Amino acid sequence: MTLATQARPSPETAVRGRYGRFMTALLRGTIRLDTAIHRIYPTDYNPLYYTGGLANLFLLILVLSGLFLFFYYEASLGGAFESVRYITEGVPYGGIIRGIHRYAADAFIVAVLLHLFRNWFTDRYLFSRDNPWISGMFLLVFGGFVGLTGYQLIWDERAQVLTGLFLGMLRAVPAVGEPLARIFIGGAGVSNSTLVRVLFLHVAPASTLYVLLWWHYLRLRHPKIWPPATWVLFSVGLVFLLAGIIPARGETPATPGGRPTGFPMDVFFLLPFWLLNWFAPLFVVALLTVLVVLGFAIPYIGRREHPEAMSVRHAGVAQVIDGNCTGCELCYYDCPYNAIIMVPSPAPGLSRAAANRTLLAVVLESRCVECGICVGACPFEALELPAFLERDVRQAVAEAVRA
Amino acid sequence: MRSRAVLGVVLLSALALLFALGIVYGEATDRWFFGGALVGALLLAYSFIVLLLRKMGILGPRKAER
Repeated sequence: MTLATQARPSPETAVRGRYGRFMTALLRGTIRLDTAIHRIYPTDYNPLYYTGGLANLFLLILVLSGLFLFFYYEASLGGAFESVRYITEGVPYGGIIRGIHRYAADAFIVAVLLHLFRNWFTDRYLFSRDNPWISGMFLLVFGGFVGLTGYQLIWDERAQVLTGLFLGMLRAVPAVGEPLARIFIGGAGVSNSTLVRVLFLHVAPASTLYVLLWWHYLRLRHPKIWPPATWVLFSVGLVFLLAGIIPARGETPATPGGRPTGFPMDVFFLLPFWLLNWFAPLFVVALLTVLVVLGFAIPYIGRREHPEAMSVRHAGVAQVIDGNCTGCELCYYDCPYNAIIMVPSPAPGLSRAAANRTLLAVVLESRCVECGICVGACPFEALELPAFLERDVRQAVAEAVRA
Repeated sequence: MRSRAVLGVVLLSALALLFALGIVYGEATDRWFFGGALVGALLLAYSFIVLLLRKMGILGPRKAER
C-alpha cells in the first residue's frame, strides 16, 4: 500500500519550493527562539506559547478599565477633553486607569501580532485551522479600528488631525466614500453628534471582539485562553508601572476651526496615517485593503497546503462503530477540532464493555478533518477512518517490517 | 541553583514589602501615580517570585500540561 504519490516537478512546484523554503526558514527561526527562551523559562512558561492568552488578558484589562472611564466620559465637542482631563487629574487613580487603558491597548496589538506571526510561521493555519485564522484577522482589523476611535475620543489636537485624515481617506474611496464619511461624522461636518458616533464605534466593535473570540475558539479543543500566573502578574504589573511612570496626559485641547499640522506618533495604531506624509489617501486606502485581503488569503494562497501537494491521503470522515462504543468520552476529549460530541445512548452496545453505556460518541462531519486522533484515543476499536482502516495500517506496517 | 533561587525569593519578597509600604505612602499623600506605579512594581516582583518557585519545582506545570 502506498501512502503517497510522486508528482512530476512543474514551474509551479519551483515557486512553491521557494515559498516553502522561506516558510521553513521562518519555522526554524521560531523554533530556535523557543529553544533560547527555554534556557530562561520552563517550557510551560514560554510566553510565546501564550500570545493568544496574553491578548485575551489585555482585552479583559481594556474592558475593565474602559468601563471605569465610561462612567466619567462626556461625548461632546465641548466636554470630551475636559472629562478626560478630570479623569486624569481629579478622579483618584483615574490617571492610572487611563494609562492602563492606553498601554493595555498597545500591548493587545503587540500580543495579537506576535500570535499572528507565530501561527503563520509554524503553519497553524492549514486545513481546518483556516477558521481561527480568518476570525483572528477579523479580531486584528476590529482591534485596530477600536484603537483609532480611542484616540479620537480624547478630542485633543491629535484627535482633530486624525479625524481630518481619516475622513480624507474615507472620501478617497470611489463611489461610497462620501456617504461613509457622512455616516461616520453624522452630517456634513464635525459636530457634537460626531463624538457620540465615535464612542459607539469604539464600544460596539470592542464588544464584537468577544463574539469574534467565540468564533476563534469554536473549533479548538484545548485553546490556551489564559497565560500562566507569572505572566498574568507580569503583564498587569507592567501596564500599572508604565501608567505610573509615563502617565497618559499633557495633550492640547482641540480648537474649533483650528488646523494643527502635527501630532505625537504612535506606531501601534497610527502607522497608516504616517504614510499620508508621502502618499495620496486613495493609495494608502488601496495599500491597506491589499494587506488585509492578503492576510485573509494566507491559508489559501500557499499552494503547499493542499493535501495532494503534501502527499497526504484522504482518509474519510471518522465513523463510530456503534456496537463497540462504551461512551467513555476519550475521543471527545482528545479531538482537537471539537468534531465529536457525546449524546445519550439510545440502546446498549454489542460488546461486553459497551453493554452498560449511557453515552454514545457522534462525529460531526462538517468538523472532522480525518486526522485519526480519535482512532488512536479509542481503546475499544469503536472508531475508524473508512479509507484508512486500522487493519490496513497494521498490514502495511507488517509488510514494511518484513521488507 | 536552589539556594540562589531561595535567595532570589527572599530578596524579591523584601522588595515587595517595600513596594507595599510605598503604596500606603502614596495613598496617604494622594500621590496616585506614585502609588499606581508601585502597584505595578509589586505585581512584577510577585511574577518573578512565582517564576522562581516554578524553577525550584514548588509550583508544577498546569494540569493540562502534565
